[in-house]
Amino acid sequence: MGLPAMFDWNSVIREVVIGATKSDGGTRAVSYRIGGGTTLPFLEKTPKPPLIAFELCDSPQYWSPIITNYCGDVVNSPAEWAKTAGSAYGADIIRLYLTSTRQRNYSDFEAVKRTVELVLDATGLPLIIEGSNEPKIDSEVFLKCGEAGQGERLLLGTAEASRYRSIAAAALAYNHSLIAQSPIDINLAKQLNILLKEIGVPQDHIVIDPYTGTLGYGFEYSYSAMERIRFSALKGDTDLAMPMICSAVDSLSVKEVRDAEPGTRDTMAVAWEFYTGIAAAAAGAEIICVRHPDSIGKLKEAFRSLAHSKVPTGGD
Amino acid sequence: MALKALDIYKILPKKNCKECGDPTCLTFAMKLAAGKADVDLCPYLDDNAKSVLGATTRPPIRRLKIGIGERSFTVGEEFVLYRHDKTFNNPPGIMLRVSDTQSRDEIASVAARVRDETFTRVGTGLMFNGITIINSSKSPQVFAKAVETVENTADLPLVLVAETTDALAAALVHCGTYRPIIHAATRSNYREMCALAKQHGCLLVVRAPDLDDLAILAKDCAAEGVQDLLLDPAPQSLNDFIVRSTAIRQLAITRTVPDLGYPVYLDAARNALRDAYLALGIVKYASVIICDPLSPEATKASLTLRQNIYTDPQKPIQMNPGIYRIGSPAKDAPVLLTVNFSLTFFTLEGYLESSRIPCFMFIIDTEGLSVLTAVASGKFSETLVRDAIKKFGLENEVSHRTLIIPGYAAPLSGRIEETTGWKVMVGPRDAADIGEFLHEEWKQ
Repeated sequence: MGLPAMFDWNSVIREVVIGATKSDGGTRAVSYRIGGGTTLPFLEKTPKPPLIAFELCDSPQYWSPIITNYCGDVVNSPAEWAKTAGSAYGADIIRLYLTSTRQRNYSDFEAVKRTVELVLDATGLPLIIEGSNEPKIDSEVFLKCGEAGQGERLLLGTAEASRYRSIAAAALAYNHSLIAQSPIDINLAKQLNILLKEIGVPQDHIVIDPYTGTLGYGFEYSYSAMERIRFSALKGDTDLAMPMICSAVDSLSVKEVRDAEPGTRDTMAVAWEFYTGIAAAAAGAEIICVRHPDSIGKLKEAFRSLAHSKVPTGGD
Repeated sequence: MALKALDIYKILPKKNCKECGDPTCLTFAMKLAAGKADVDLCPYLDDNAKSVLGATTRPPIRRLKIGIGERSFTVGEEFVLYRHDKTFNNPPGIMLRVSDTQSRDEIASVAARVRDETFTRVGTGLMFNGITIINSSKSPQVFAKAVETVENTADLPLVLVAETTDALAAALVHCGTYRPIIHAATRSNYREMCALAKQHGCLLVVRAPDLDDLAILAKDCAAEGVQDLLLDPAPQSLNDFIVRSTAIRQLAITRTVPDLGYPVYLDAARNALRDAYLALGIVKYASVIICDPLSPEATKASLTLRQNIYTDPQKPIQMNPGIYRIGSPAKDAPVLLTVNFSLTFFTLEGYLESSRIPCFMFIIDTEGLSVLTAVASGKFSETLVRDAIKKFGLENEVSHRTLIIPGYAAPLSGRIEETTGWKVMVGPRDAADIGEFLHEEWKQ
């Protein structure tokens, strides 16, 4: 009998390119094209596995001790750390948080540029860069990032409704893409994308971050926000038809991880990142960010099976 | 399309015989329209009327009760593909797996674990649901012995997995009347499996990798008289699972293929990908999930995920308003006021615990709204604070008269001071900064 068609979608998720190889004017060893989905996540004939971004920073005092202890000395050099994330941890993308800019009255913007350049030299992976936490220095920080990564098709983060101009300016000036974050609300996600459109950011340069509350701490809302965004996009809302990124930054500070026995804290952190990551991928996130190196291999193996082609092979 | 109660009433015999248990045909019709009664309860309907009514009044996914007694659970009766449309109703049962080749002690210890282990989150005890016993030995006697061991340890819902009906028949001697699930009916054995299921009144899993075959097999089993079915689409990869499970759910809830209107069974007991299958089964429509005993970490993560997904996304989870203690606060410890949105509560609680400053959390009833929304909507007001201070006797708990309010409630600070007579300090907007705030600003 042959099963009937199940869905009546009429639109697609826009594609966004992250990273530029030599042929595209950059120096990355790989680049990725995310988006392009035409139906619910993984129901395509040839589904793509989500990408895994490893998050690191240039001032580890702002990072979870679980991670700095686990990774060791390498955390003191963002370049070395980024290199290790690609070669040893197996990440697809590096997400660099410029935590050094959180120091009071930070003004060494040349250092920002240098850090980004060093990281770009150290790894061939595409880069996501998270700028400052302080609106007053946004403009300088993002311009330096943009400039340092010119030609590399960076993904810059993070634009919010209350502060998006500096980051948009840097993205536009140097042809980078940006992350647009809204607090777990489909309408606010749409509004922000419209604001970005109005100041000229091309829609294929935007990745939506619907904000991920980690497992047990808001994930119940984030999961549905992602599903709704994907659904609306497929139903034709072009202001929401961008790929999504998921970063459950609180995973390492939740009670379950904090209170875990010292010997099991790493596995608890990985369990939290892993379960959140799988569920977010099923809801439509195409970049899953993690901070624990052990989460990467585990997620990768699962994503391979999740994006497995439809030809029966007789087992996992 | 679902029929309205009056349309259904027209088809009913209108005898008001009460044999269905309802006082009148009209009340029975109303129950049918709401999906709360079964047409088979009416003895006077002909087959044609039954099929017309049955197809539109029954829940699109059959409701099944698994096991008996205190630990029995219900699955099925789902209506939506997206939980934001109308919430998911019945969380999947997770059934830890043992093999009949394991020692008696090993088997008993897994059963005892499922019986006793509870993990409490947001005031709710989370547990695994039952035990799956695999007939790895291929011996009916060994299988029966293993089932007996589990039965002697705990009254838990069971899944019996065996390749032969002989083994299942031997095991059902010990548990047949407790509504276990048996696995699995296939094209080649379904008649014997149906006979066994009928004899013991147990639930039957039908297994086929192709959804067409699965639908036909389910229909054939129903024709044999077994309607308490589960569907095992036999996935070979995570992709197979998400594709087949989504298709089953969508075709069932739209009543496009009513023969797929049964809960989904998932075997997640696969070494390297176990956690991934379990997580995916929880979010993507599985109702009974088999997996090997999990580590404490995977236990917490998976049970938390299940709780999250089966929470109504439209309804903020609320904490009970009142006074909560962090550490053992003395009478001069700070009082931090916030709303009863559970996410706000747990976030703040986490940061307060890590600040290691004993204090009081004073939770007011904003009906589960976050600080921002509660302030914007007027739910968070000075009178609410005043009444809560009185109601919970805050004045007797502390020796001072200072409240720390969330940064986003700053516009209310003056009015709260005037109305309550308490001094108000405006705390940070972000709970992450609360530790630093207390260390720097809290001085008596």
